[in-house]
Amino acid sequence: MRATKLTAVAAATIFSISLAACGSSDDSTSSSAPSMMPTTAAPSMAPSTDAMMANFGAGCSAVPADASNKGSFQAMAQVPVATAASGNPLLSTLVSAVKKAGLVDSLNSADGITVFAPTDDAFKAIPKATLDKVLADKKTLTSILTYHVVPGKLTPADLAGDHKTLQGDDLMVSGSGQDFKVDGKASVICGNVQTANANVYIIDSVLMPKS
Amino acid sequence: MTNRLSAAAAGVLAAASGVAAAELFAAATRPGAAPLIAVGGAIIDATPTPIKEFAVRELGTNDKPALLTGIALALALFAAATGIAAQWRRPLLPAGVAVLGAAGAVAARSRPTATWFDAVPALLAALIAGAVLLWLLRQLSKAAVESGVAKGSGAAEESGAAEESGAARELRAAEERPSLVRSAEPGRPSLKVAEGGPSPRKAADRRAFLRAAALVAGAAIVVEAGARGVTRARAGAAGRNRAAVKLPPAAEPAEPLPGGVAPGFTTPAGTFYRVDTALTVPRIDPSSWRLKIHGMIGREATMSLDDLLGRSLIERDVTLNCVSNEVGGPYIGTARWLGVPLGPLLRELGLDPRADQIVARSTEGMTIGTPVTTALDGRDTMLVVGMNGAPLPLEHGFPVRMLTPGLYGYAGACKWLDEIELTRFDRFDAYWVKRGWARVGTVRTASRIDLPKPFARLNEGTVTVAGVAWAQRRGIDRVEVSVDGGPWQRADLLPVPSVDTWVQWRYRWRATKGPHSIKVRATDGTGSVQPEARATPFPSGATGRHTITVTVL
Repeated sequence: MRATKLTAVAAATIFSISLAACGSSDDSTSSSAPSMMPTTAAPSMAPSTDAMMANFGAGCSAVPADASNKGSFQAMAQVPVATAASGNPLLSTLVSAVKKAGLVDSLNSADGITVFAPTDDAFKAIPKATLDKVLADKKTLTSILTYHVVPGKLTPADLAGDHKTLQGDDLMVSGSGQDFKVDGKASVICGNVQTANANVYIIDSVLMPKS
Repeated sequence: MTNRLSAAAAGVLAAASGVAAAELFAAATRPGAAPLIAVGGAIIDATPTPIKEFAVRELGTNDKPALLTGIALALALFAAATGIAAQWRRPLLPAGVAVLGAAGAVAARSRPTATWFDAVPALLAALIAGAVLLWLLRQLSKAAVESGVAKGSGAAEESGAAEESGAARELRAAEERPSLVRSAEPGRPSLKVAEGGPSPRKAADRRAFLRAAALVAGAAIVVEAGARGVTRARAGAAGRNRAAVKLPPAAEPAEPLPGGVAPGFTTPAGTFYRVDTALTVPRIDPSSWRLKIHGMIGREATMSLDDLLGRSLIERDVTLNCVSNEVGGPYIGTARWLGVPLGPLLRELGLDPRADQIVARSTEGMTIGTPVTTALDGRDTMLVVGMNGAPLPLEHGFPVRMLTPGLYGYAGACKWLDEIELTRFDRFDAYWVKRGWARVGTVRTASRIDLPKPFARLNEGTVTVAGVAWAQRRGIDRVEVSVDGGPWQRADLLPVPSVDTWVQWRYRWRATKGPHSIKVRATDGTGSVQPEARATPFPSGATGRHTITVTVL
């Protein structure tokens, strides 16, 4: 598993170098996703390699490895979190919920946050009627979504413990190394995914605030 | 010379040779990872802006050399202490060296563009410094041991004895006493010290140590010279040369900013956003830099930096933003730019009326296409040489970049400029246009909420909502705020120097308990209201109204 990921990392890195090379010679027409990336926030090569090395979990294999794909780790590291999530095929329900709640800009322009991002499968576990009701109720939806966001970028080393969420209640992360559970039930299936302004932990179950 | 002084000197020489080797290694592989530079960079990164501004104000362009000198002095002091400590207790040698290596490595890794490789030069420096120090101290021990065995009576130390300080005498006295510390040292026989002073034999061994020290010093100098040679060959002396560029005063200086402008109107160069494709910042020697102007123009020209600086310069406050900025995003800034107006220059050279595109090329091959009309319609399209009162920073395109008010950076602000070609849009597509971005990147009317921050928890009562709005060339007529989808309320606009900058705005909101969403929209000077519909930055700039969520407690 790790070896595969390392290979993917290497491939992605080499791919990005070759893209950069095209850029300099300026004689090729690239059909890949056009990207105009900030150099300070995320230099196009080195730090994203670090970021890719840093993420972990079985669920990461579902993330596209092709660096030119909007949903790849490489691409996500360059853009703010809501934009990054919208490129990720695992997170489409979350993204539409964030849009419904009007939280796209707040998430994108927040200064350093941690987002616990439930996958589409996590949302599927909620009965459809309940989910539809929640999606239609902006206040409840906002409360649930902001319960998934913690101020500050939590690295895997600071992940375990109680964290005050933007909703106001604390959530509790248990575990260590590469094996974490949130509030005792949601497993981190792909952790420490880097975006320009947030660290993302993809989880397999939707969290519910206590209040 | 005393043992303690010798040990201190050994420490300094060892550190110097380690750093020199690391500089050479870094110069040949990754110049930014050279230990002193990396530590300096890390310090600059960690220094709060006011202190940086103070340093720049007080030291001018000497702030970097002053910083590097300070680092070198601190390193020398630590190295000297390590030398002395290691002579006293050998295990302190690896400890001291490890501290230095780790400090250098951590500093190098902390740099924004660092990779694991950046830690290598510092670790190499530590390794070499450690080995050299060990060797020098062994030479010194030999001298001490020999002197202990061969001590006669009354012979004066042939040189340096007169300068011996009280403290040094004390140390020597301590050293010449047999002690537990000394006898505990492995590989160093406990001293059977006879009465009396040093002998000619000791002097000979001193000379052996001095020879070793001289050898190390010589080697360090040679290696360091090599490192500098490599650096010059690789990069030119751009940094030094930038400091040497003297900007003439503008023939048309910018007016002072109008009274009532809030802090943050001008973005310092250090925090000004940077979006480009350069993996390493081009380092261009301004003395050999040339700008070639060619294509559909009556007379082709090749200009030096002095040629440009000799022309009549204008200075303007202009806001520049990146097309890839998301709604509410950070890639926008306002600076005071000094430059050569492009229009008069092109007219002088005899512009072909059929030319409709200016293609600016950078030294690293970037191409940016700008309509010729933007150089001729009276706006301040310019070849920029200065930013906020200093030569253009390397990251922002030193020695010369283009700036076109009213266009996104990708469409009008080529950095590290070295070529201007007059051509036609139907003949050439610039770099980003080939990748699908709009051919003409006119900035969209937009606005941003900077305060309060998204997800802020606020107290009930009056809350200042504030931010910026921009529509360069058209100006901003009105900014309005809506809370929770309620009616649009006009915000106060602060004064601006021209239509080419952003406008700071402010709205006093009576905040009531509960969660709220705050939304902003701007209306530009043509009466167009910033669109509500969301568009992604690709291909011609994001649209949508910045909306943030806050909670009032």
